[in-house]
Amino acid sequence: MIEVTEQTRSGWCVLGVSGRADAETAAELESRLRGAVENHPQVAVDFSALAYISSAGIRAVLQAARAAQEGKVEFAVCAPSAPVRKVFDMSGLDHILTIHGELPC
Amino acid sequence: MLTMLEEVVLLAVDEMSGGLRSTREFGTAYALVGAVLFDLALAGKIDTDTEDIQIVDRTPTGNATLDHVLDAVARHPHISTVRQWIEEIFQRRRDLEGEALRSLMAQGILRHEKTKRLWIIDVERFPLVNNKPQQHVKMRLAQAILTDIIPDTHDIMLVSIAEACGLLGFVVSDAQLSARRQRIQTLCGLETISRKVTAAIADLDATMRQAMTKVV
Repeated sequence: MIEVTEQTRSGWCVLGVSGRADAETAAELESRLRGAVENHPQVAVDFSALAYISSAGIRAVLQAARAAQEGKVEFAVCAPSAPVRKVFDMSGLDHILTIHGELPC
Repeated sequence: MLTMLEEVVLLAVDEMSGGLRSTREFGTAYALVGAVLFDLALAGKIDTDTEDIQIVDRTPTGNATLDHVLDAVARHPHISTVRQWIEEIFQRRRDLEGEALRSLMAQGILRHEKTKRLWIIDVERFPLVNNKPQQHVKMRLAQAILTDIIPDTHDIMLVSIAEACGLLGFVVSDAQLSARRQRIQTLCGLETISRKVTAAIADLDATMRQAMTKVV
């Protein structure tokens, strides 16, 4: 199960992601992130309520970040929960994406 | 569309001679197991976390090589970690390279030549019939390594397997490899499967060195 909420704050489209990002939910996560990237110049993804992320979930985030880079959209991965932060650290994702401790707005 | 296994084996074909470049015999076998696991992940059949593999969908892919491995993984639920699976498939591996070569020939990309050297020794070559797929693989790898653009996830996997096979030196120059070493390491670290393949190859190299020291 994954839940994605969307709101606009100070010019940023903020997506709040909760639940599990895995093979079962990765397509939905990627679709929601890409949808935001296609429609907003600044997208922040709040992972503070995400309990689990697998390799499929990381690929979904990377594909959305790639789309953002291509579209010159500012894409901020923010406030990962402790288990998600651990996975990000192990994969070295911060060498490819900027991971913020807090939301930018 | 080629599988990752087929793309890596195609990359190993010398475009001039049709010979197969082999830099690390057993290391390459580990990397090809990694390529199959990546193909299963891309087909949505398995998923991984930092240690374990989960089977997501047991239905066949339609590719005999992938389905053989998927079936083996499904029949041994007591083996759960990525590393255990790499070792298990490595031990019971079929000729992954041969299967990929046959598929590439069936797709009209390679042909098979068998000749004799000194009238006795069989020499097998696989000249390119259509060089476009290999050029396309090389172009994607070069772009993933030499630019700072976030690569497609498929290309991230491909870089990590080509690196484990020692094949990146046939795509970019030594100077470029050296200058982009950090980028290559970053891409190779992103996926659990490639991290575990690298660890398996490192352990194998250490064992071989230890064995050689004892012999000497």
